[in-house]
Amino acid sequence: MTFATLRLRHGLMAAAVAVALVAAGPAWAWYLDPVTPVAHEVRTLFFKALALTGGFFILAEVLVLVAVLRFRARPGVPPATFHENVRLEILWTAIPAITLVILAGPTFTTLKYMETVPKSDLTVEVIGHQWFWEYRYPEHGVVFANEPLVVPQGKIIAADVSSIDVVHSWFVADFGVKMDANPGRVNHTWFEVERTGTFRGQCAELCGVLHGDMHIEVRVVTPEEFDRWIEQKKRGA
Amino acid sequence: MSGGSHAPSMTDAHAKPRTGISKWLFTTDHKLIGVMYVWLGFFFFAVGGLFALLLRTQLASPGLHVLKPEVYNQLMSLHGTFMIFFFTIPILAGLGNYIVPIQIGARDMAFPRVNAISFWLLIPAGLMMISSMFLQGGAAAGGWTSYPPLSDRQYSPGPGVDLWILGLHLAGLSSILGAINFVVTVTNLRAPGMTLWKIPMFCWAVFITQCIILFATPVLAGALTMLLTDRMFGTAFFLPSAGGDPVLWQHLFWFYSHPAVYIMVLPGMGMISQVLPVFASKRLFGYKGLVISTAGIGVIGFLVWGHHMFSTGIDPSLRFFFSLASMVIAVPTGVKIWSWIATIWGGSIRLRTPMLYAVGFIALFVIGGATGVWLALVPFDVQVHDTYFVVAHLHYVLFGGSLMAIFAGLYYWFPKISGRLYNEKLGQLHFWFTFIGMNLTFMPMHFMGILGMPRRIYTYQAQYASWNHVATLGSYVLGVGMLLFFVNMLWSLWKGPRATADPWEHIEATKTLEWTVTSPPPAENFATLPIIR
Ligand SMILES: [Cu+2]
Ligand SMILES: [Cu+2]
Repeated sequence: MTFATLRLRHGLMAAAVAVALVAAGPAWAWYLDPVTPVAHEVRTLFFKALALTGGFFILAEVLVLVAVLRFRARPGVPPATFHENVRLEILWTAIPAITLVILAGPTFTTLKYMETVPKSDLTVEVIGHQWFWEYRYPEHGVVFANEPLVVPQGKIIAADVSSIDVVHSWFVADFGVKMDANPGRVNHTWFEVERTGTFRGQCAELCGVLHGDMHIEVRVVTPEEFDRWIEQKKRGA
Repeated sequence: MSGGSHAPSMTDAHAKPRTGISKWLFTTDHKLIGVMYVWLGFFFFAVGGLFALLLRTQLASPGLHVLKPEVYNQLMSLHGTFMIFFFTIPILAGLGNYIVPIQIGARDMAFPRVNAISFWLLIPAGLMMISSMFLQGGAAAGGWTSYPPLSDRQYSPGPGVDLWILGLHLAGLSSILGAINFVVTVTNLRAPGMTLWKIPMFCWAVFITQCIILFATPVLAGALTMLLTDRMFGTAFFLPSAGGDPVLWQHLFWFYSHPAVYIMVLPGMGMISQVLPVFASKRLFGYKGLVISTAGIGVIGFLVWGHHMFSTGIDPSLRFFFSLASMVIAVPTGVKIWSWIATIWGGSIRLRTPMLYAVGFIALFVIGGATGVWLALVPFDVQVHDTYFVVAHLHYVLFGGSLMAIFAGLYYWFPKISGRLYNEKLGQLHFWFTFIGMNLTFMPMHFMGILGMPRRIYTYQAQYASWNHVATLGSYVLGVGMLLFFVNMLWSLWKGPRATADPWEHIEATKTLEWTVTSPPPAENFATLPIIR
């Protein structure tokens, strides 16, 4: 079997796998479903990065493949002897550099957007413990642990994240939110969930034996339902 | 700059050549020391690899009970520690040890006894790591990053973390001594006529790497000492309850550990720059550009550690600075990739095993490079930081990069070092198992990570099951490939046909000095020191 037929086979196999993946549906999903403005922005930035760097990536892989297939040693065909070309070298230094400058723009604006906590409608304090999460609603005097966090849909939630023992990290992928919970300091982040539902996350910083069991569940409800829920919680406490 | 007169003479070794085990125990010969480094490296590669297979078995499906959570965390921590500090760094030091003095036309390293000490320090270091598994409380289980307070006494009371710290201290000392030795060797012991721009690319890469080690490793040693005194003597550098700051550890750790990525990958890039021209029968393209970009990566590599800390709450303007600096690294890395492609373009390519690995290196490293650029973008990094996306990225850099390069170099220099030829068919089979297994294992991890699966968890939610099945399958393919490799190497060492001085039939422009002497090279390498024209 020659290299070329091998490559061809690989190509066909890859295509078959790709078709199978699309047909297989959500089990083979490759990007999450963003539900906050920040997560949307992050996905847009990712697609921009993919578009800007993808060309270089494909060019490099194709050139390597073509070189290997085309320039095999053959009797009577001597190898080329060139070994420098200043113009080419300047070009392949400058073009990627310019591309990165272009990419730095949206990176900066997205960063600014996600790190500026807007005026919030609700503050929750998120406190990591080995191995569960404690949530506090200081404006309502509600405190609980080991239960889902409940927040209203379409409202700006400010989260103050910290820890009681080791470093944890509060991470809900669909929100585009990940904030380390450090003992001895409070980190600030925010999110605004666009639709109701239950969203799952998990502690993202190794925090000991049961790090893998430190799940996060966020229940996003309508503002009316939230008001009812918080009143009930207050009475219960 | 000519080094002939400085070349250490091993007169005592000449007087009474040692044999058997004492030949190895008491040697100061850079070649024997180099070979011992390689053996030690592969021992830890095998152990760390078996650990990885166990981890992947536990993760084959959600909710399995192959490993208990505490055992999972220990094996995961040791896998990282072994692969980085006891496989990649030592084996690169070993190949450098063997090849660099010969390539620059020297008879040995500048300080042969220090060289022996560097190697032997790794034995107690490794023993400490391994023995910690069998002590009460088990091995360190805080990942190879061992963030406090988790690694403080309160949360990790057993001796595991103490042994981990002391083991790394010894390994670090070994690295620092080795670095001094390499820097002095390349600076002072070059053969007459080997001016700066005639130093072979591999030697340049090793030289720049050792400079990085010299500046970075002492910082790790300092941080480890602080952690040790926090644990042992009641200091509180990283203890928030007494006014310390755990984030300080992360700064110090990554100040070393980001450059450590280049410590692990630059020598491999040097090997690639050596192997590609040989098997394309064409001179290396853009030699000076490659040297300058290697040095550039070495310098900028010290300014990017913060990209490991984008979600810790560090200052926003700092985040943007680290983001820019990390993106900048892509430029010199790109220069290398284009230069390698231009090197093989128009050549007469012989696809022998070293060349397959060198080409495979480019194909995989480009992926690790692209995901590296994305990870430099703070918002995207925050999304996938500490998820399997990062695991995928780092394995495309360290497995697809460093390890593929190590295999390229090892197959290339095997005849020179052992004096025998390996089995080419088995070598190529090993490559295909590695290349396919590698992609099956690590490509799905990108998707798991983007979908939100954190790293370092002993089990996971059902939605990530399908990609994990594929990754575990891939890891078994890798396991079979590595078996083929070990069989090939051991069988060839014993029964392989004898190698000539130059079994690869180098053209004049690619023939470095090691191919001008016998395989294996004689004691002290050169009867008369070569003169470089
Ligand atoms: Cu955790
Ligand atoms: Cu880094």
